Amino acid sequence: MRNKDLNFFKSRAYGILFIFFALLALLLARFFFLQVVKGAELKEQRELNINASESIYPKRGRIVSRDGYILAEDIKTFSIIVDLEQKPDINAISLLADIFDQDLSADEVEVKVLTSLKFSTQETILSDLSQQDLAKFLVRSSELSGFSINESYKRNYDPHPSIFHILGHLGFINDLDTKYFSQRIMGYDKNLWQKVGKSGLERVYEQELRGMHGKRYFQRNARGNKKQITGITNFVEGKELVTSINYIAQKKAFDLLKGKQGAVVAIDLSDFSIPVAVSVPSISANDLSGISSKDYADLLNDEQRPLFNRAFMGLYPPGSTIKPLLTIFSLSEGYTNWTETILDDGLFRFEEEQRVFNAWKEGGHGLTDLEKALVESSNPFFMNLATKFDKDKFVDFMQSASFGSVLCSDCYPHQYSPLINDAWKQKNFGKDLYKGDFINLGVGQGYMLTTPLHLALLTSLIAKKGEYQIPYIVNKQTQNPLFLENKLSDDDWKRLNNSLINVVYSPNGTAFRVNAGNLKMAGKSGTSQVVDINSRAEYDEVRKNPLLRDHAIFIGYAPHDNPKFAIAVVIENGESGGRAAGPVAKEILEVLTIEN
Amino acid sequence: MRIDFNNALIILSLAGIILAGSLTIFSVTSIDLSYFFRFLLISLISICFVAIVFYLININRILSAGWIILATNVLLVLSVEIFGQEINGSRRWLDFGFLSLQPSEFMKISYALFTIQYLRFYSFKFTAFRSFFLLAALFVTAIPIIIQPDLGTGVVYIAFGIMLLFICGMNKKYFIGLFSAFILLSPVLYNFALTGYQKGRIINWFSSEGSLSERWNILQSEISIGSGELLGEGFLASKQNEFNFLPEADTDFIFSIYAEQFGFAGVILIFVFLAVFILLSLNALMKQNNLSDDLSPYYLGSYFIFVIGFSFLINILMVSGLIPVVGLPLPFFTKGGSSLLCFSIMLGFIFSAKGFLRA
Repeated sequence: MRNKDLNFFKSRAYGILFIFFALLALLLARFFFLQVVKGAELKEQRELNINASESIYPKRGRIVSRDGYILAEDIKTFSIIVDLEQKPDINAISLLADIFDQDLSADEVEVKVLTSLKFSTQETILSDLSQQDLAKFLVRSSELSGFSINESYKRNYDPHPSIFHILGHLGFINDLDTKYFSQRIMGYDKNLWQKVGKSGLERVYEQELRGMHGKRYFQRNARGNKKQITGITNFVEGKELVTSINYIAQKKAFDLLKGKQGAVVAIDLSDFSIPVAVSVPSISANDLSGISSKDYADLLNDEQRPLFNRAFMGLYPPGSTIKPLLTIFSLSEGYTNWTETILDDGLFRFEEEQRVFNAWKEGGHGLTDLEKALVESSNPFFMNLATKFDKDKFVDFMQSASFGSVLCSDCYPHQYSPLINDAWKQKNFGKDLYKGDFINLGVGQGYMLTTPLHLALLTSLIAKKGEYQIPYIVNKQTQNPLFLENKLSDDDWKRLNNSLINVVYSPNGTAFRVNAGNLKMAGKSGTSQVVDINSRAEYDEVRKNPLLRDHAIFIGYAPHDNPKFAIAVVIENGESGGRAAGPVAKEILEVLTIEN
Repeated sequence: MRIDFNNALIILSLAGIILAGSLTIFSVTSIDLSYFFRFLLISLISICFVAIVFYLININRILSAGWIILATNVLLVLSVEIFGQEINGSRRWLDFGFLSLQPSEFMKISYALFTIQYLRFYSFKFTAFRSFFLLAALFVTAIPIIIQPDLGTGVVYIAFGIMLLFICGMNKKYFIGLFSAFILLSPVLYNFALTGYQKGRIINWFSSEGSLSERWNILQSEISIGSGELLGEGFLASKQNEFNFLPEADTDFIFSIYAEQFGFAGVILIFVFLAVFILLSLNALMKQNNLSDDLSPYYLGSYFIFVIGFSFLINILMVSGLIPVVGLPLPFFTKGGSSLLCFSIMLGFIFSAKGFLRA
């Protein structure tokens, strides 16, 4: 009985023992698989768990002016952050709030600390500390455990508003930026960059300026907290940009236009670089960093449009300043010569349509040849000339003068001046150009629009006798010069130059009052209509509203016997090109030519 | 006192396991050397104490108190609901000041004592009524554990209880019946008896689509084990532990840390210790000359041997990802007084049952 039970018990016990060893064998196989077969792979996963790295944001390159002023540079900035390894306690939080009671409340700090701990992110408590604030923190840092100082770089611009539009600004990257840079920079990784150039040189030269990230390698625990730094690769500082900007002249140009709206662009004729490009009004480039969205909206909606770069983007009717260019076209095509005269009685009669166009000077200039038409700015002379223009040749000529194409290799953004042809008119008005359009085009009105940058370029090509290059601020696009479609004889160039000298130096010249002295300046004034008017009386009515007054324009170059600089000045609603814009051009040319 | 070669091997393997466990718990909690010694002392003292007491008192006396012990234990489990400390969302612990205990851990012992006492009265003759009675007692006493909620401990308690009845000779048709019932009822149980957290663990085990946090523990456990490779990273060199990638490294997942430190070689060593302990102590029990007709020592001894053995296997199956995570301690490794005391008591029973210490 007993033995039978014992044997039965033993058989069952051995049954269980068998299951035990079967499971043990299974486990042995499992551990062999995990530790020997997959061991190396799982170990690698563990290393990935633990070892991580983070980027060190590089120091962005400096931007300097040609005359050696620092226009933009990265400076060190300090901020207080939450240290995740040593959680701040309530004492540290209230002490921090006490020390910085003007900027922080204890509740604010606590919210940030909690957010930080919850998402394991390093929240910034207070950024951009002053030296005093930094000292205040460091003195009591032993009581402020859980908070630490983070060192980083911040963009700092020369505060003068004249340089804002040239340099542009930085801002947090968005989808548009990603698209823009992806098309231009090989292998662009948007995740690496927080702030990128939004406009100006900051945007065009993003790749050169930004530098290369450094890397900080560290070991982290399961919460992602840094335990130990294991290695650092330093960042590569961005390249320094040397611009063609002449800071002294740039500032001067801005100050001369202060309180008005307008633009000044100058071109160095030795290499077609841009020493002056000013748009007024403007802001200090630093004002945009950390700006509130309300303030930014205010800037955008400001009627004076301080964020709008008039120099590269503003389209203005060139008015009479287009006359020298059209002179080149007319002479080369034989529409006129230096001896042909017309009787200018202040009116131009367009017989075909029986329309009468008023010129700016009542009673007219009398018997007028080409030189007088330029010096005294006769509208009927050029209106008459324009009726003779061959449409196709005119379009080809304007195209060769950069209408409808790139005007600068690194001005961002910049606007092309429209090329007025049949296609353009069809698109905008649904019909082809006809002779009547040319009467307006002949005096730089009607459909004709140019940017101040383009006006400066047109002036350059007149000064350089039909030869020009695409202007630039930092890097030239190509060394090959461009040429106007139409050529003039040396004599014609000389007489054109003389006429433009007389604009400034002849007592009859529209810009005589500029009083250019021994600057050896040549130029052409212009007044461009803001509204289409037909009579003097009508304009007197219109000019009661300052915003409807004519724009004052002046183009010029100096010295006229060996031109070194060309300039274009536009003053919105400044009325008289000779009187308002001319003196500005003279002063800037003076600064530029004396410097060199 | 006679200690032969077999007994020496049993003690050696057991000492190996206890030492490995103490070293691992030290490496996880680290810094605290006193903890290491406390762990060693508690196990050694309670093993010797229980073995000596039972050797002196005579196991029969203890057995005659079986139903009282079970009833007391059930009451203690229930009292946890009222007085217990809540840890990790469930109440399992009773705080005695110097020691906080989890009464449910001791249910496997109490039920065995009760069952043996009951069956011994009938000379281990099973009838239908007795079978049903013992099964009913098993399931009813499991309820307080499951509602704590501690499904893992409850299910394992039931499994061990059924194993005990199997050892004691209950007719195999009951086991077939139980198994069929389990298969048929499992969908119902899954839907109504399990909490979302428990379901998560099961879904996680069956599919790779479980939630991240559910998969996290198992993944990190496998990474720990695998990183040990053949020879291990060395004592105190578990990076998974250092960087907190393995939650509950000092309780459920302690074997993963052991495996990372000592590698496949260390794992084999533990398996060998375990196999030697189970095999030799069962063998010693079988060979024992018991003069009386009472088979209680066989049943009780082999039951406790298997409980220790399978507790080991279940925990290791769990940490190596072969079964769902049920939250079961690893004997002599897991930090925690209850499990250490519980397994020490079992060892005391085993030694006294096979007359280990008898002259």
